Amino acid sequence: MEDVIRIQNLTKHYGKKRGVEDVSFEVRKGEIFGFIGPNGAGKSTTIRSMLGFIRYDSGSIKILGMDAVKDHENILRDVGYMPSEALFYPAMKVSDVIRYAADARKKDCSKEAEKLCERLQVDTSKKIRELSLGNRKKVSIVCAMQHRPEIFIFDEPTGGLDPLVQNTFFELIKEYVNEGATCILSTHILPEVRKHCDRAAIMRDGHLIKTDTVESLIHSTAKSVKLTADGKTEEYMFSGDINDLIRELSLKHVENICIEDPSLEDMFMHFYEGGKDNK
Amino acid sequence: MSAIIRRELKLNLKSMLIWAFTVGGLGFICILMYTSMEGEVMEMADSFSQMGAFSDAFGMSTLSIATITGFFATEVGTVHGLGSAMFAAFFASSMLSKEEDGHTGEFLFSLPVSRSKVITAKGCAILVHLILFTVICGLFYVMGFAALGEEIPGKEMIRFLACMFLMNTEIATISYLISATSSKTRMGLALGVSLIIYTYDIMGRVIPSMKDYLFIGPFSYVNASEIFAHIDAPKYSFLIASMVILLTISGTFITYTRKDLAS
Repeated sequence: MEDVIRIQNLTKHYGKKRGVEDVSFEVRKGEIFGFIGPNGAGKSTTIRSMLGFIRYDSGSIKILGMDAVKDHENILRDVGYMPSEALFYPAMKVSDVIRYAADARKKDCSKEAEKLCERLQVDTSKKIRELSLGNRKKVSIVCAMQHRPEIFIFDEPTGGLDPLVQNTFFELIKEYVNEGATCILSTHILPEVRKHCDRAAIMRDGHLIKTDTVESLIHSTAKSVKLTADGKTEEYMFSGDINDLIRELSLKHVENICIEDPSLEDMFMHFYEGGKDNK
Repeated sequence: MSAIIRRELKLNLKSMLIWAFTVGGLGFICILMYTSMEGEVMEMADSFSQMGAFSDAFGMSTLSIATITGFFATEVGTVHGLGSAMFAAFFASSMLSKEEDGHTGEFLFSLPVSRSKVITAKGCAILVHLILFTVICGLFYVMGFAALGEEIPGKEMIRFLACMFLMNTEIATISYLISATSSKTRMGLALGVSLIIYTYDIMGRVIPSMKDYLFIGPFSYVNASEIFAHIDAPKYSFLIASMVILLTISGTFITYTRKDLAS
């Protein structure tokens, strides 16, 4: 599959503070790509570098074959971005904000906007200042989707959305993706990644520590081990040759053992903690 | 880009109208006060014109405040000069920084517009509002003269308003640069800068040794008494104004296109 986003050796520091270091990954056309990591891991820095909000120190970002710095304006024509905060101009009406976003793209998106507002139940007559976080997020979704971009980038999209709207949101993503769009979902809600994403990248302390299919991440060589032996109960992740584990266990008096594929949450913690419980 | 210009014009229209009606309205009232004060002003005119540096500072040694033109230049000239400078500073100082301050930058910059276009569009909106502000104030002053049945000094009035507009543009570009460098709205700083510039001009007119350096400040070429008395603005003052405008606009582009946007 063709890569629509290719990031190579991206490095960004904020003065002496770390932003991201040597991050490289690709996003393929037509996939939903999860971008996982705790707060401060570097997800937003990577996204903000992609969108030209910040200037990165080194590396390269190609989106739809274009350079993220030189062709920044052209790239944004084909990108729909939903920021995590979803803040707009408080004095503007919802309909004006949606039209403003379309006008800035020099596109008539009225039909698509109408469809999205109907499905997400957006009240376009209200002023932005009257909206709750969830309703502002819905406006943000409309602004990101109405021009039917080739790439969607959502930063923590579901916070504040009720479960019904969350379902509609993911249905919409799947519809656009089925029509050929690509989606990056930056989140720390792991069930969302497990349920909706094809592949995912895990960020930790500004570094990309793993990129793989969600399936492979869960069924990777790391195993979750729950063991009661020699009167003690232990729970840990094991990665490596399974024969080493068996040899190790044979030295103990095992009372009970459960070895299984880890959940995505376990995987995430395993990677996040740098395998400190790893044996 | 036109979408941004339209939005900024609409968003700031009410604020601009409030400023224009306040400054223009004050000027209008000042002009109307001339008739009620005419007799007293006649008596005061001589003593006001002989107050040395103080008279020079407020232009009362150049034109007699006993005439409607002199009264307008002295009173309304000061009100409009200060009021319009503060409006320009207030308006331009938040134009770029408000996007980061209000966390709307991510929305704006996710639209396919370059930062240069955002600077240009918002700059155009400032310029249009400054023009509208000047025109509205000018209409108030013309109405004031008409209400008193006085002849309107057309050429001088146009020159006065044009110079004021240039001064406002200069202050606005300085404030715009302040706005570009900060992720917080620095309205206080911009207003402070405009007041310092005004004070510099007053000091320059009071302290003889500073007179030669008056041309540096934008208030040097907007002294209404000198404009209405057909006295040329200090040499190089327009050149300096043009240079300041050019440099601050360049600085705004250089700064804003290179900075990291605050989240």
